[in-house]
Amino acid sequence: MNETEEEPKDFIKLTQAKLSVDEVSVLVTSPCCGAISLFIGTTRDNFNGKKVVHLEYEAYTPMAEAEIKKICRDVRKKWPAIKHVAVHHRLGLVPVTEVSVIIAVSSPHRIESLNAVSYCIDTLKATVPIWKKEMYEEEYSWKENKECFWTNMEK
Amino acid sequence: MVVVLYFARSAELAGVRSETVSVPQRITSLQLWDEIVKRRSRLAVLRDQVVFAVRQEYVLLGDQLLVLQSGDEVAIIPPISGG
Repeated sequence: MNETEEEPKDFIKLTQAKLSVDEVSVLVTSPCCGAISLFIGTTRDNFNGKKVVHLEYEAYTPMAEAEIKKICRDVRKKWPAIKHVAVHHRLGLVPVTEVSVIIAVSSPHRIESLNAVSYCIDTLKATVPIWKKEMYEEEYSWKENKECFWTNMEK
Repeated sequence: MVVVLYFARSAELAGVRSETVSVPQRITSLQLWDEIVKRRSRLAVLRDQVVFAVRQEYVLLGDQLLVLQSGDEVAIIPPISGG
């Protein structure tokens, strides 16, 4: 009666293609898990009263993947019950309302996956070398996350 | 010779995405910054905002001594905005 337990997996993808919430949900689904928690980040149409036309993302791709891998490792240390973790981030142009990032975590019970998803997005914003340029009608701005770990350090 | 990679605002200011730069094998991160700014002076405005990534590990600008091998990647990392 004992089936082989699936190995926990990290699914990390940086892509110019449109992201799929269905695809990510399926990746982390597991028979032993009763919970899947998701965070979906989308492009907002405004910032400080200015109309946002679209976002453009770029990444130091190999290092971004490595830093996301570190986040997955930390998540598993903090919440050992977690099964699968998926982090998909879009690069290039992301129009308003489209998805720029999806984080999904599965666990037997909901508390671990809910906490882990929150930790993942907070830590991604603090440590992963990805940048977004917010395009307005007349100008643009390179955004800076308030979570960025070195701008938070005492000088 | 290290490969310097520029991203986001630093790429706009430098005008290039990457270039090879000749630097001493042993150099502090601040000295490395000064060497790069000598070649790409418009980067100077970023001095208080950027960090390096040397062989894909973050390094703050300061006294930390780096030991660089030929072909190592050194990336200029402006404040990040993923997610």
